[in-house]
Amino acid sequence: MLRRVSFVAAGVVIVVIALVAFVGLFMLPRPGPLEGTTTLHLETVAAVGSALEWPRPNDPHPDWVGYLPTTTWHVPANSTIQVQIDQEDGASGLRNPFWGKVFGTEGGNMHVTFFDDKGTPQESDMTSIDPTQAAHTFAIPDLGVFVPLLAVNPNAPANSTNVITFSFKTKGPGRYRWQCFVPCGAKTIFGNGGPMQTIGYMGGTLIVT
Amino acid sequence: MGVFRIEEADRPHMWRLLIMWVILSAIGIVAVLQISYPPYDQSIQGQDQAGTLRLLTVIATPVFVAVVIIIAYSAIYFRRKTTELVDGPPMLGNTPVQIAWVTISATVVLFLAIVGITTLASESVAQAVGAPGRSIGTGGQTGGGGTGEENKEISVQVIAQQWYFTYRYPDYGGVETTHLYLPVNHPIELHVTSLDIIHSFWAYELGVKADANPGVDNIFHVTPQKTGSFRVRCSELCGLWHGSMTDSEGQVVNQADFNTWIAQQQQDFAGIAKAVPSYAPYYFPLPLTKGS
Repeated sequence: MLRRVSFVAAGVVIVVIALVAFVGLFMLPRPGPLEGTTTLHLETVAAVGSALEWPRPNDPHPDWVGYLPTTTWHVPANSTIQVQIDQEDGASGLRNPFWGKVFGTEGGNMHVTFFDDKGTPQESDMTSIDPTQAAHTFAIPDLGVFVPLLAVNPNAPANSTNVITFSFKTKGPGRYRWQCFVPCGAKTIFGNGGPMQTIGYMGGTLIVT
Repeated sequence: MGVFRIEEADRPHMWRLLIMWVILSAIGIVAVLQISYPPYDQSIQGQDQAGTLRLLTVIATPVFVAVVIIIAYSAIYFRRKTTELVDGPPMLGNTPVQIAWVTISATVVLFLAIVGITTLASESVAQAVGAPGRSIGTGGQTGGGGTGEENKEISVQVIAQQWYFTYRYPDYGGVETTHLYLPVNHPIELHVTSLDIIHSFWAYELGVKADANPGVDNIFHVTPQKTGSFRVRCSELCGLWHGSMTDSEGQVVNQADFNTWIAQQQQDFAGIAKAVPSYAPYYFPLPLTKGS
């Protein structure tokens, strides 16, 4: 009898732990979406817990890479969206170097302020980058938008940020997934685990209304 | 074994069932012949698949109708009318009936076997899965592109990656593209591979579904025969955005449009060409685990 009660009690404890873990990991409120705007100001960081602009120190995975302040964006349909990404991460490199090229932006390029090998600030319009120097990408495949994000040069001053600006046009209303094509999930198989497989870090939804 | 015999009282049921079966089967066959079967006829291989599906549906229709009307008829006419529990009359076997169902089943199965063997031996299927493709080049030295040779197979490499397909055309300098364009009435040799994990390339309207595995060059042949768009999707559960790993902008176009499109792609590709590795049957990116 005592043995049976012990098994039941252990089962209840396991279920409760699983429920708490599920709620804690997946159902706690995330940052809200950026609402109906034609500008997106984003930040890409090596660790969401120690971002320069929108840190999330209480995130369940503060050491994961991520887009900040949120990964759900509301934008109007058939509009030109201005994007500014403050890119703070170092290079991971692209698995497919093809994504080093800019696709789908107005003018087919992006404007980048960055630091050269001497740590001197530079800026330039670019249509592609060295794929090995990609930190992340901003990609909305169904809109044909693929933008590689240049990594911060290791010779840049501490806490430096590359600023990447570009614009793209939305189509009709709908939900469009966006994702990063750099396998930037550190310590995971092929770099595609962890933040690459969890909404709220390196992928999300562009809601066009 | 008993003797095949239908009781006088049961003969009306038999005739009703038989007449209903014949009429409903005829209606059903006419109805299923009106259906346009996937994956339709945008490629020769897809047309073959649609034809096989139509044939199987036609054969299955009388069987389906027989099962349904026997169940429905029995539920209506032979249901128990009293509350008392009694066994039905014993059934001790019926040799003619057993011979009939074994013969009919064997005939249907043998017929389908003949159809299957004939289809596998047909030219289009042999072209799809059996004929050896010409060797593909490496080092970006493949083909000059746009030679205009009729019926010369065009190689296209399908590269799966989480979570998108890209395409390389070794006959056109190894140019890589974000959409799959194919010229109509031109045999295509697809080389399907993956950069990371297991995917599956499914060009629905073309009737092509092929595993995309890292380190593997999976070859499949297809000949588009109608211009128009087709959908591409991944059919192997591959992670967070598997459901979004689609592209509805695949196109079968005429040769002139294809030449224009591929020329534009080559021009666009020039900006990144030096950074992209030479065309190879497959790519095996390392390291397996990214750094900290």
